[in-house]
Parts: sequence; C-alpha cells; structure tokens
Amino acid sequence: MTRTFKNMLCHLIAVAIFIAPFQTSQAGMIGTQQAASITTSADADRSVVINFLQRSQTVSEFQSLGLDAEAATSRVAAMSDGEVSALAGKINAVPAGGDGLVVLILVVFIIWYFAFRR
Amino acid sequence: MREAATRQQRARLAGVLALLLLSVLSGCASLVPQTMGLREAWPAGVPERTELARVPFFAQQDYQCGPAALAMTMVDSGVQVTPDLLTGQVYLPSRQGSLQVEMLAAARRYNRISYQLAPRLDDLLREVSAGNPVIVLQDTGAGPVVNWHYAVVIGYDYPAGELYLRSGDNSRLAIPFTVFEYTWRKSGYWAMLTMPPDRIPATATEKGYQSAVSAMERVGEPWAAKNAYTALLERWPGNVVASIGLANQYYAQGELPLAESVLRKAAHKHPDSVPVLNNLAHTLSDLGRNDEALPLIEQALRPSDDPFAAAARETQALILQRMSRNQ
Repeated sequence: MTRTFKNMLCHLIAVAIFIAPFQTSQAGMIGTQQAASITTSADADRSVVINFLQRSQTVSEFQSLGLDAEAATSRVAAMSDGEVSALAGKINAVPAGGDGLVVLILVVFIIWYFAFRR
Repeated sequence: MREAATRQQRARLAGVLALLLLSVLSGCASLVPQTMGLREAWPAGVPERTELARVPFFAQQDYQCGPAALAMTMVDSGVQVTPDLLTGQVYLPSRQGSLQVEMLAAARRYNRISYQLAPRLDDLLREVSAGNPVIVLQDTGAGPVVNWHYAVVIGYDYPAGELYLRSGDNSRLAIPFTVFEYTWRKSGYWAMLTMPPDRIPATATEKGYQSAVSAMERVGEPWAAKNAYTALLERWPGNVVASIGLANQYYAQGELPLAESVLRKAAHKHPDSVPVLNNLAHTLSDLGRNDEALPLIEQALRPSDDPFAAAARETQALILQRMSRNQ
C-alpha cells in the first residue's frame, strides 16, 4: 500500500518536473499550447488535470513494459495531449509494428498478382 | 435424351462456376476500394510514376522496422540519426515493436514535424510525388495471423501497377497496388511524414498542420518552432494559433518588437481574440508602453466568460501597477 503510493507519487513528480515548463509560458503571456487547446473556461482547469493524470498513467505503463523512468518520461513528453489521452490504458491493445517478414502467402494473392495489379 | 441431360448439367455447372468467379473477383475488388477508385479517376496533378531514389536505406534489425523506417525519412529530411539511436525512443521490447504514437512523437525530438496523412491513397501518392517519403503501417499477416510492419513508400509506377517500398531487408520492394492496399487498409490507412520545420506537406490541412506544429513545439528547439510557425503563417495568414506561437517564440528570445508586430497583425484580423490582445498588451507593457497596453487589455476583458479572462485580469493588474509606479 505504502509502496504503491510512493511509486505513484514518484511518477507524478517525475511527470510534473518534465511537463511543468510547457504548461505555462512567461508570467502573464498566454502559452501557445493553451491558446490552441482550450475552448471553454470549464475546460481549462479540467483538461490540465486530466491530461496530467493520463501522462503519469502512461509513464507507469511504459515502465511496466520495461522502460526506465527517464526514457518513459521523455517518450511521453514528446506526445501531444490528444495522443496521450488516446493511448492511456491501451498500450497493450494498439498495434506495434515490428516484424519485417512479409508473409503474404495466400493463394488468392498469387492469383491476384497475375490477374490485376492496379 | 441422356446427352441432352448431361449438356444441361454442364451448362448449369459452368454457370455456377462463372458466378463463383465473379463473386470472388468482386469480393476482391471490395477489399481494395481505393485501388479500384484509381481506375475511375487518377488524382489531378499527380504524375503516373515517380521514385525518390535519394532516400537512404537502413535494413532492420530483428523486430525494429519502426526505428529503421523512421531513420530513413528523418535522414532524408536532413537529420543526422541512425536506427540504433532511435531504438531507445520508439522501440518497446515487450511488445517487440513500435507504437504509432511513438513514431510520431520521436521525430519531434529532432525538430521534425510529424504529420499524419488523411487515410487516402490519393494523398499518399501526392506526397511521394511531391518528394516526401511516407512511412506506412501495414498488416502483412494473412488470415488470422496479424503482423504489423512499418515500411517507407519511396515511389510508384501506376502503368506497371507497382509501388516501391523500403521494407525490412529489402531496399526496393516492388509491390502491386492491390496487395499494398490490402495490407495497408488494415491499419486504417495509417501514414506519416517527418517534415523539416519550414516545409509544409503537399496535402496538409490548416488544422492538421497547426496541431502538428504545436505538438512539435513541446519538445523541439525554439528555432524549429519559429520556422514552423513562420511557414504556417505564410500559408494561412489568418491562423491565430500560429501568430500567438510565433510571437511567443520572439518574446521568449527577448525580441519584443518582432513579437509586437506579429501580434498587431493578428489583432487586426482577430479583434476579439483574448489571447492575442492579452499577449500584445503584455508585450507593450514590457516595452514600457503601458498607455498603449491599457486600452488593449480592457478590450480583452470585455467578454467576461472567456477561458482566458483570468490571465487577462492578471495582465491588467500588472499594467496598472507599473503605471502607478511610474507616476
């Protein structure tokens, strides 16, 4: 229990350190990310919080897949808010392109290949 | 009597066979709707054949077609990078592969703009013919076997019915349009580019490219964001996010008069944009021109329910404080 809590806290802090510089621009200037994403005032705070949690969740998921904390954090930091929310909780379900072996072996393809190519 | 019956049977059999063949062929045709679409209409202004021979080739290691594909388009766009360097940024050992979102994210760390194409074969061909190699996600498995794979489309020859891919160990895989579409379709026609920050993709939409640039700005260097926003504004002069983005870059580098000039133009086009008015007022105040800043921030505060009203009130307080100090 305490360990889980400590782990979670560590993730939150790690993510906070990384994303903090991007959330606010110079004091008083409205940042580009904010200007681009926020449409209603109710959205403003909620979207920041939700995104923060989703980022930290995604970092934990990456770590559970064997990445170290630093790599996981910087990899998640390079994603946009929309990408993080689309990925959160689905890391094991989305496609992972890997194999180079082309196993197009169905007979229909051979027929196809000679029948029509375009 | 008997002969006639046999003939009738044969005729029936032939009819069934013809019907079967027809349904198989039409079934096949429906598997590759976009290739069929090309028969009806070839996209206007796109040449019938092209090949980007200059795109480098990296053979993939084990399951690392993601890093290899990404390295090919990124080196082509002017980044000094190798598949090995990218492996730590896109490869997930336990999944034995790379996620689409990480392919998009990794290029941004090298100041490239990752642009996901619309799921259209026409757009893919248009980008290749405009000189942009395209990373595609294919399912090269058959039947129940799923086999996700990244490759780079570097050319095509429509009269010959072939596309050319850098794929796996093959530096120039020629693959029929039909087979390519069948494998590509299963990824929802997923395709992406890694563009230098001053070059806009041939098929870019204003909204799509704007989000692509602002995603890059999170992790890219200031010069790249500045170039990208400048290019975005040149193409779509009315884009308010690009104006704010470019001005923020100038502001962050202390080039306040340049920030002012960008924001002035934006305020002229979008007199109701609170972020534009707020940032312009703030910039003017920093330049010591609080008298000019005050009416602008008052204008920004007129709509009280704006999501940026709080920021505008802070700026107003700052301006008033500076004015009273100067008196």
